[in-house]
Amino acid sequence: MSQAEGGVITSAFILLFYLVFYGFLTAMFTLTMWVMLQTVSDHTPKYQDRLATPGLMIRPKTENLDVIVNVSDTESWDQHVQKLNKFLEPYNDSIQAQKNDVCRPGRYYEQPDNGVLNYPKRACQFNRTQLGDCSGIGDPTHYGYSTGQPCVFIKMNRVINFYAGANQSMNVTCVGKRDEDAENLGSFVMFPANGNIDLMYFPYYGKKFHVNYTQPLVAVKFLNVTPNVEVNVECRINAANIATDDERDKFAGRVAFKLRINKT
Amino acid sequence: MRLKTPEIYSVELSGTEDVGKTDTGDGKEKYRGLKDKRLELKKNHQKEELKKEVDLEDHKLSIKELERKYGTNIVTGLSSTQAAELLARNGPNALTPPKETPEIVKFPQADGAILCWIAYGIQYFNDKSSSLDSVYLGCVLALVVILTGIFAYYQEAKSTNIMASFSKMIPQQALVIRDSEKKTVPAEQLVVGDIVEIKGGDKIPADIRLLSTQGCKVDNSSLTGNLTPSLRTHDNPLEAENPWNKMSTSPVGTATGMVINTGDRTIIGQIASLASGVGHEKTPIAIEIEHFVHIVAGVAVSIGILFFIIAVSMKYYVLDSIIFLIGIIVANVPEGLLATVTVTLSLTAKRMAKKNCLVKNLEAVETLGSTSIICSDKTGTLTQNRMTVAHLWFDNQIFVADTSEDHSNQVFDQSSGTWASLSKIITLCNRAEFRPGQESVPIMKKVVVGDASETALLKFSEVILGDVMEIRKRNRKVAEIPFNSTNKFQLSIHETDDPSDKRFLMVMKGAPERVLEKCSTIMVNGQEQPLDDSTAEAFHTAYMELGGLGERVLGFCHLYLPADKFPETYSFDVDTVNFPTSNLCFVGLLSMIDPPRSTVPDAVTKCRSAGIKVIMVTGDHPITAKAIAKSVGIISANSETVEDIAKRLNIPVEQVSKRDAKAAVVTGMELKDMSPEQLDELLTDYSEIVFARTSPQQKLIIVEGCQRQDAVVAVTGDGVNDSPALKKADIGIAMGIAGSDAAKNAADMVLLDDNFASIVTGVEEGRLIFDNLKKTIAYTLTKNIAELCPFLIYIIAGLPLPIGTITILFIDLGTDIIPSIALAYEKAESDIMNRKPRHKKKDRLVNAPLAIYSYLHIGLMQALGAFVVYFTVYAQEGFRPSALINLRVEWEKDSVNDLEDSYGQEWTQYQRKYLEWTGYTAFFVGIMIQQIADLIIRKTRRNSIFQQGLFRNKVIWVGIASQIIIALILSYGLGSVSALNFTMLRPQYWFVAVPHAILIWVYDEVRKLFIRLYPGSWWDKNMYY
Repeated sequence: MSQAEGGVITSAFILLFYLVFYGFLTAMFTLTMWVMLQTVSDHTPKYQDRLATPGLMIRPKTENLDVIVNVSDTESWDQHVQKLNKFLEPYNDSIQAQKNDVCRPGRYYEQPDNGVLNYPKRACQFNRTQLGDCSGIGDPTHYGYSTGQPCVFIKMNRVINFYAGANQSMNVTCVGKRDEDAENLGSFVMFPANGNIDLMYFPYYGKKFHVNYTQPLVAVKFLNVTPNVEVNVECRINAANIATDDERDKFAGRVAFKLRINKT
Repeated sequence: MRLKTPEIYSVELSGTEDVGKTDTGDGKEKYRGLKDKRLELKKNHQKEELKKEVDLEDHKLSIKELERKYGTNIVTGLSSTQAAELLARNGPNALTPPKETPEIVKFPQADGAILCWIAYGIQYFNDKSSSLDSVYLGCVLALVVILTGIFAYYQEAKSTNIMASFSKMIPQQALVIRDSEKKTVPAEQLVVGDIVEIKGGDKIPADIRLLSTQGCKVDNSSLTGNLTPSLRTHDNPLEAENPWNKMSTSPVGTATGMVINTGDRTIIGQIASLASGVGHEKTPIAIEIEHFVHIVAGVAVSIGILFFIIAVSMKYYVLDSIIFLIGIIVANVPEGLLATVTVTLSLTAKRMAKKNCLVKNLEAVETLGSTSIICSDKTGTLTQNRMTVAHLWFDNQIFVADTSEDHSNQVFDQSSGTWASLSKIITLCNRAEFRPGQESVPIMKKVVVGDASETALLKFSEVILGDVMEIRKRNRKVAEIPFNSTNKFQLSIHETDDPSDKRFLMVMKGAPERVLEKCSTIMVNGQEQPLDDSTAEAFHTAYMELGGLGERVLGFCHLYLPADKFPETYSFDVDTVNFPTSNLCFVGLLSMIDPPRSTVPDAVTKCRSAGIKVIMVTGDHPITAKAIAKSVGIISANSETVEDIAKRLNIPVEQVSKRDAKAAVVTGMELKDMSPEQLDELLTDYSEIVFARTSPQQKLIIVEGCQRQDAVVAVTGDGVNDSPALKKADIGIAMGIAGSDAAKNAADMVLLDDNFASIVTGVEEGRLIFDNLKKTIAYTLTKNIAELCPFLIYIIAGLPLPIGTITILFIDLGTDIIPSIALAYEKAESDIMNRKPRHKKKDRLVNAPLAIYSYLHIGLMQALGAFVVYFTVYAQEGFRPSALINLRVEWEKDSVNDLEDSYGQEWTQYQRKYLEWTGYTAFFVGIMIQQIADLIIRKTRRNSIFQQGLFRNKVIWVGIASQIIIALILSYGLGSVSALNFTMLRPQYWFVAVPHAILIWVYDEVRKLFIRLYPGSWWDKNMYY
């Protein structure tokens, strides 16, 4: 056997070795991952350590949480309107009526499994019409964006098996962050009235078998924001079991955004 | 970013330029000459200066001329004002200490600080995001750099301090005549022209010109390397009789002298400054570390740049890509290694100090281990450094005396009458005395006032006969002629202790042929017989035989003076010699040698089996050198020199084939005539070499010759003249007892007990440290992959970042530090003294199998294991692995506060961030758990862990405990400090990586098993690091 041949054979051995070795490692990794995934249920997460306090969020969703409307410039708000149209589509009364139940307001809509494992859950109706002036149905002002009276929708993050409000009614309130913001903010109206969120939308059972779950919304229509000024708005939820004063998590139970109406 | 690391290792390595200059300057002729050429080492102008100094004629001037030249008076001395003036002009009489690198320069360059600035710059441009992460990162990095720097500096400084305190001696005092008064002043304040008085045992404070002496000898060995003081008159001031040099000691007598040179202008000072001109070579370990740093830097930079390009082409922001780059580099650089190596080295240094090797330069610890040639001194290192009676010849018979360290076992026949007479002569004809007040000291350790041979005889007789001083008292001395170089004998006349015998006994000892000349009879079996040709022949045979053993032979004779001619009241006059000094009765011969230390032969054998060539370099006579070399095994029992073969075959030396001889004895004169090529040939052809009659300067040539063979050379030395060779050697070893300060300064290591055997222990430690460093580096490198993969996956697959840069630093500098130091305590796997010394250029500290095995085998397994932990945490909190792919952009957006997980739940940015930190912690714990397995497998490279013993190295377990405790503290103690990115981890996540850890152990056991089963196979070649 020549030296070159020996070299080739050695290289072949090494190549074979690495194939086997890495094959084995992949198998080992896959196996341990598979074992690990067996510990995780498809329907509910094993732990919810970080989700004790649900966060709040606004729609329309913007890059830096700022709603800027140039009244005269259709382009500037059209994208918001498009997003909102899309976002609110599942809330259409027809769809809601077709898929979801009419629930009794004021109490949790609990659906125990009753012995049947992972029994599919029904969701409660949240009709678009409940959003009143902000529903955008047959609305020539495009959620008020074309008139400088924009609607901003507040939603609370879904958390599985979270009984928001601890059996007491809860609502969303909005204020200007600082005094001048409060002045500039002017008046606003909320839909549903008072910014109420009904208990019947809770608890949430997870997307796998709470299929048509409709997240409750609160719409805020800002009626006379001082134009051409940036206004810092903060909305928070008043609920017995949701803390809104977390120092580190600025979105725990609250949401802050900037509002600016530019008029010429 | 650590490209500059070697700076820290090379604090002492400046000055290589000087070497270059000398090398090119003098070419092949350099160092050739003996004493007068030695000074060519330095640059030319200095050379001239030195030559001028050596040409000084002070020793030839008369006292009057001297007084004129130095403006002094030998009776009254200098005046105080004169002295003060001179002191101010010439400076104190002290050697300028070798130039220390200024401390601030020693401090490592803030290599990583640049990173901090980059990070800060990125932060500055990115400030809209208001994330403080990169500021934290920058600060942590800067802190890391500063801390490791301080640490390395502190260690280095600490070991330097040991030496500094070591070299600080008790301030020397000198007795000087000033203003016609005798005054004791600190030796530092001596000036040229001072008249000093020297007593026996004093160190000569400066170069002095002797004015008068009383029975005084000087030991110049620290200067010339010779054991016995040279008393010849000579043109060369070093060899001449009347100037004495600073640092020499005067063992006996008193003397007065005039200071002719002080401080750096003394001959000692000149040589010391000469030594500082010979640069140190880079230590092998520094080279290895540099090599390692190159590998790591190469890997880090190339992967970093590769992924920078990938990131940019994947449309990441350039600033983000730079942060990735930093992450990749941080993951790749073993930040803790510097500290680890330093600690490991200093731990070993401490261990060696216990075994009497004081290591000055930390890196020398390892250098000793890679030593392939040891050039050893004879006197004091291989031998006991004291003359000892080795053989006796009387009654036509040679007797062997015990030369072991305690002389306890004298077995020769002491019943003969001749021995009674001989012992009497030995006892009486001897001027040496024990210094009083040493009753409790064992005989061999007692301090004796007297020269080497007389000391030997005194101790010899004390051991055999008991209280010598008492015997001398009983045999009162009435007259004496001391030894001098013209007579070559010593004679004394005594009353005898036999009350019935009123005769005087005259005893004489001296050079055998001289003594024999004076004899007409010889004592055999206690009877006087006429000295005929056959007995004379027997005498000559014995004399030649003992001389051939390299021993110093003395002849002894006596004569009972007839009572009628020399009555009790007779007054002997040694000047007129009014007594007979011929027709004496020859009694016997006695030969002395400086015997080898009892531990040396064993040590030499160990060196031999460790593949280390031991070369003896001595100033002694070739015969003595050869005899000692034979007795310690430097020339093994069955090997012959060319001369031996010639003698055996009875043919001329020229006809002997050089191939047949394994051993060679080369004298300084022969060496002087050799070209470097011939020397190379000599060094390669013979495995056993003795250089005799060499000057200390020739050591340098020998060292260079060895280094040309790519050998790592250790040199021992004690004299000032050895210091250039000590510096030139890869590792210079100075003698702690006999060594001069200059030698200790130039050396990397000091042998506190002057014992060659200590070198061998040092070699063993040095080899162990190399092996253990290999293990440490393998351990440290492994996790780099586990730290690097997350970044790569993060960039490519868009997972939320599995491990943060700061977290990586907590592994590198937190959990991993103590375990990697613990590996330094690992015992050797096999007998490391039975293998060849490592080849400087072939056996690297970090070789390809080590890197591949660490990176692509264990490292990869670790990465997979850590990813399992990471995925577990995310999956159990709501993000299944499939949901994580390409989630990065949304995940990291601050404005997204309702990111949906696999279950439809929505997460705010902070909730995600916190989960990300939990992921970091999980990944960290995953790596930590597997590093425990890694630590255990790194205990051995070839043997099974079970062969090595899992619990033999307790420090490993301390390391493992520290790992776990640090991780627990980070997770549960500091989990709330957001800057550190640690969170409290659920207890069960600590165990997720355990199966992978076990797999690592099992896999490595399999690797070692195959290595042991199939040595030399492709597996062995590719898997043994």
